[in-house]
Amino acid sequence: MQDHTQEPLLEMFIFETVQLLEQLEQLVISIEKSGFFDQDAINEIFRIMHTIKGSSTMMNIGSISSVAHSVEDLFYILRENKTSGFDQSKVSDIILESIDFIKEEVRLLDSGVSNNGDAGPLTGKIRNFISEISGQQDNRQSTTADGTEEQEYTEGSNDTNRQENLKTYSSVIFFDDDCGMEGMRAFSLIHNLKDIASDISHIPENLTSDADTDTIIRNSGLKIRFMTEHTYEEVYNFLSQTIFLKKVELTETTDVAAGETDDSRNKGNDESRGENDSRLYGQTELRSVDPQQNVRSNDVSGRLSASQHSIVSVNVAKLDKLMDLVGELVISEAMVTQNPDLEGLTLDNFQKAARQHRKIISELQDIAMSIRMVPLSATFQKMHRIVRDMSRKLDKDVRLEIIGEETEVDKNIIEHISDPLMHLIRNALDHGIEPKEERRAKGKPVTAVVTLEAKNAGGDVLIIVKDDGRGLNRQKILARAKENGLVSRPDSELTDKEIFSFVFLPGFSTKEKATEYSGRGVGMDVVAKNIGVIGGNVSLSSVEGEGTAITIKIPLTLAIMDGMTIAAGGHKYTIPTLSIRESFKAKETDVFQDPDGNEMIMIRGECYPVLRLYEVFKLDTCVTNISDGIIVMVENQGKCICLFTDELIGEQQVVVKALPDYIKKFKKVRGVAGCTLLGDGSISLILDIGGLVEYGA
Amino acid sequence: MKSVLVVDDASFMRLALKTMLEKNGYKVVAEAENGIKAVEKYKELHPDIVTLDITMPEMDGISALKEILSYDPNAIVIMASALGQEVYIKEAILAGAKYFIVKPFKEEHIVTVLNKVLSERR
Repeated sequence: MQDHTQEPLLEMFIFETVQLLEQLEQLVISIEKSGFFDQDAINEIFRIMHTIKGSSTMMNIGSISSVAHSVEDLFYILRENKTSGFDQSKVSDIILESIDFIKEEVRLLDSGVSNNGDAGPLTGKIRNFISEISGQQDNRQSTTADGTEEQEYTEGSNDTNRQENLKTYSSVIFFDDDCGMEGMRAFSLIHNLKDIASDISHIPENLTSDADTDTIIRNSGLKIRFMTEHTYEEVYNFLSQTIFLKKVELTETTDVAAGETDDSRNKGNDESRGENDSRLYGQTELRSVDPQQNVRSNDVSGRLSASQHSIVSVNVAKLDKLMDLVGELVISEAMVTQNPDLEGLTLDNFQKAARQHRKIISELQDIAMSIRMVPLSATFQKMHRIVRDMSRKLDKDVRLEIIGEETEVDKNIIEHISDPLMHLIRNALDHGIEPKEERRAKGKPVTAVVTLEAKNAGGDVLIIVKDDGRGLNRQKILARAKENGLVSRPDSELTDKEIFSFVFLPGFSTKEKATEYSGRGVGMDVVAKNIGVIGGNVSLSSVEGEGTAITIKIPLTLAIMDGMTIAAGGHKYTIPTLSIRESFKAKETDVFQDPDGNEMIMIRGECYPVLRLYEVFKLDTCVTNISDGIIVMVENQGKCICLFTDELIGEQQVVVKALPDYIKKFKKVRGVAGCTLLGDGSISLILDIGGLVEYGA
Repeated sequence: MKSVLVVDDASFMRLALKTMLEKNGYKVVAEAENGIKAVEKYKELHPDIVTLDITMPEMDGISALKEILSYDPNAIVIMASALGQEVYIKEAILAGAKYFIVKPFKEEHIVTVLNKVLSERR
């Protein structure tokens, strides 16, 4: 999500709407599995769409609000007519389509594009469906009363006492032109009027706020007739208190004939007054409504996360800042306890206190990191939708099994996992899993299983996408690799792993024809790259005929990293330990120049480019002979280069800090991914191995 | 400055309303996302005004209204509803709500209603 801190309302809208859509999507998919729409589910869906409609209307996003409105209408009908005689799969299709539409509009909003999605086709479709099912059900006009109808008699004890000081007034009330809901306002006014008056009658008599009532009142005002002991001024003041009042006309009349307290309405005398309404001055009707079904939507706790109650939403920027400061704290703690001033001193009490200090800070660090950890559930659950859609389209029978979704990963990392996962799942469904007949012929169960698993392994998280499909065909890949000129060694020397890793190369695909979902050869390398960005890697294993498993390994957090600190040109740098293959001392004779003039080194029969760090970073140094320095071989995505450094200083855990903005904005510094503070207070730049590998290659 | 308790199950609505209120000199002392919390907060903070959404899970606006009023008959409660919810507004009015505002909120309307509310009750 982008940063919209300039517009908190927009940010909140996007955040909440996305959350609601995800809830809704999960809800629909689990409904499809269970097979029916129960009342709770209907209420929940109604409520979610209602909320989205409300918010999007406030934000003036017409496309979203009209779609939400239509779905809300649909579910209103489904809710009222409790029969289940409607086409359930069509309904879930409609919802999912609406979700997609709204998602896309929100996505456009988020990236700052003004959305102009055309809601017409979708809302039209929904309305057609609505009229279809309305035609099926009894047409219950909801304008007539549901439930018990009470005729409320005018209050006060004035039925029998027609005292002298009871006066009859008639009044016409006009509300402000654009206040809206005039019928409701009228109802409110009449209700309040009962405090001081009796025998109230009014035109229009039906005070629901339908368009007609509102219009009547807008055009000809609300006409009322009532009796009260109060004086003209008192009554006038009372009526003038009405909110959004434009005009009130009040006259005292002596005519007491109207407003009788009995049921029958069409009295002869009334009609003779020459009014055009066929039913004049009706009684105030109050309908009591059964609140049970409509207003209270029961919490569908089984489907929603019950953890909503003890969760606080925190701005991610604040979390980042927190992590930053904790990182600084760790460094400054080291600077205190390892301070050169303390060297050689015996400080027992101090050491004790320092240890305690260290312990607390360590705990703080753990908690700070855990705050940013988010379970993979949300990301994993999204895959259900993809499996559902694709298995339908490809006519394959696929079940998605999710294991270990409660495994947590740093929030920053989660955003980068979603797309690669989607691609892997699509691949599995498109390429891996065979069509039903083929599976049957092979003796496999027709329902294919795709397993999405997450688990912790040391300081990393493993995410495995497994399928029981046809597996990778070693021959085919090898053949394609040879075609592309990628193979230089004899077949027998290549391990399965190496062969499979060819699929990670850009443009590589054994598919003759690209489908909508895959086969273009732009997938796996992008997956690998995205995973690389978050410091992880991808590997494949497969058994032909049985299935394929793709394992993604990602570090728990980007904030802390194992690194090897080295010196080059008198300055300190840190290389991520993960990227280091080996380090060694080389001889002058090992290096040579290739035809292009690049320096290369020969190691066990293989050639690798040599990158002299002091050259890359333009440093002054006296260590220029190969034999004086150390070579560190690093790798990125299967490519290796050798870095020439002055010396190795040591391995340690470092707190990764990003380069300051003003540097990032000024110029993209190649080869530097971040920086860190070492225990002695000096700054070490963290090398961007990927960038250096490209540079050297 | 008059204090307000804003109640609505949608965070977005609460934020929108809060922004409008604070812009016009009101102080939002608390928010609640359902009727139960609304009653809790009311009893805890005794705000001058409560804006109460009608449709909420756990305990809807009408029930919350009734509870708040039975706890404090002088409570100033403004119901918030969407178009199409007249039936509930009626019920709310019958239960004792004096005022209502309609979503989508128009800032001028809200201000008019609140000013009216305060001038009456003084």
